Amino acid sequence: MSAAVPWADELETRLGRRVTSMQLLPGGASKEAWAVDADGERVLVRRALAGVIHEATLSLENEFQVLEAAAEAGVKVPRPVAYLGELGGREAFAMELVEGETIGRRIVRNPPPGLETQLADELAKIHAIPPDRLPFLRSGDVLERFEHELDSVGEPHPALEYGLWWLREHRPEPLADVVSHGDFRLGNIVVSGRGLEYVLDWEFAHLSDPREDVAWPIVRAWRFGNDDRRLGGIGEVGLYLERYEELTGRTIHEGDLDWWEVLGNVKWGTGCLTQSRRHLNGQDRSVEYAVLGRMAAEMEYELLDLIDRA
Amino acid sequence: MPDRPTALELIEAVIEFLSTEVLPAATDHRAKFRTLVALNALGIAYRELAASNTVLLSDDEAAALARRIRAGDVREGDRELLKEHVAAKLRISNPAYLERYE
Repeated sequence: MSAAVPWADELETRLGRRVTSMQLLPGGASKEAWAVDADGERVLVRRALAGVIHEATLSLENEFQVLEAAAEAGVKVPRPVAYLGELGGREAFAMELVEGETIGRRIVRNPPPGLETQLADELAKIHAIPPDRLPFLRSGDVLERFEHELDSVGEPHPALEYGLWWLREHRPEPLADVVSHGDFRLGNIVVSGRGLEYVLDWEFAHLSDPREDVAWPIVRAWRFGNDDRRLGGIGEVGLYLERYEELTGRTIHEGDLDWWEVLGNVKWGTGCLTQSRRHLNGQDRSVEYAVLGRMAAEMEYELLDLIDRA
Repeated sequence: MPDRPTALELIEAVIEFLSTEVLPAATDHRAKFRTLVALNALGIAYRELAASNTVLLSDDEAAALARRIRAGDVREGDRELLKEHVAAKLRISNPAYLERYE
């Protein structure tokens, strides 16, 4: 076995299988991802990195439970294999290793036909997961959450404050909370020529108004440069909402998403700032995190422009 | 005044090195992506140091405005001012982004 990985023996014991190779995959921002050969099966081991606990992020144990609940509900997810406890002092779990395209910029160039309705199919299944199946999921006032996050940044952002003010002034009647994915968009789905294959990255799952998830992939940043296609840079919102209504009985008009789109920009703008602080405070030094601090202005401009047109 | 190259000229030199030597040699997607991010970061620093680019609101002014809006006291003209303020930041961080609104 890879003698270079000090927790390889622990992994074999927890999996109950012989591990013949393990390779650290590039790209894990808040977690490590290892491609592991276990008795001939390829599994992906997700393992926490030290000290990157974002206040809204699930523990790996809870993330694994969400993945299991999603699999039971028929959501297309990599098959959950096992929660592994701590490996070398950090939490980890194993799931099926899947292949396919996740890079948003590439998907929007040539989206597979039917992706709009396939997104709605998965979202409808996620929103049908019984909340009592996952009692640890948190709800709470979404605007208070982002005010609090913005305060933690310690730098004035009057444009984001303006967005939060406008959202408070125009708050829609709430819909009952559902189990939300929390980061449902291009970049977190696996696509092949056949269409949507898997929904990934469940660490931000929580309870919320269903429209928070529904509107998230329409935020301009998640159109990956294909601005004219409001739904994730790949298609029209109409088909997506029709399909979602057909499956859930929830009627959401395209105009109902405007408020949530402004919220999405506040959310990602604030997210950029908090992530850049991970670099600035030394928690997680990385040029990628660093530049996010300067990217927040894009979401600020977009939300002001959306409000101009509202 | 320190000797030449100036800060801007040094940044330019590193931009040239990364784009002509490091980027073409990057083998995997990850290395290529991170090099592009680094080039982007240097581009931001370059535009910020170039004298023509300045922000509209000082830190104190931005902080006062943020506090006033948080308190719910929003006034006529705030949004227009904020758009100018954010546009000035974008002329440093990502001038091409603003063109998407033209």
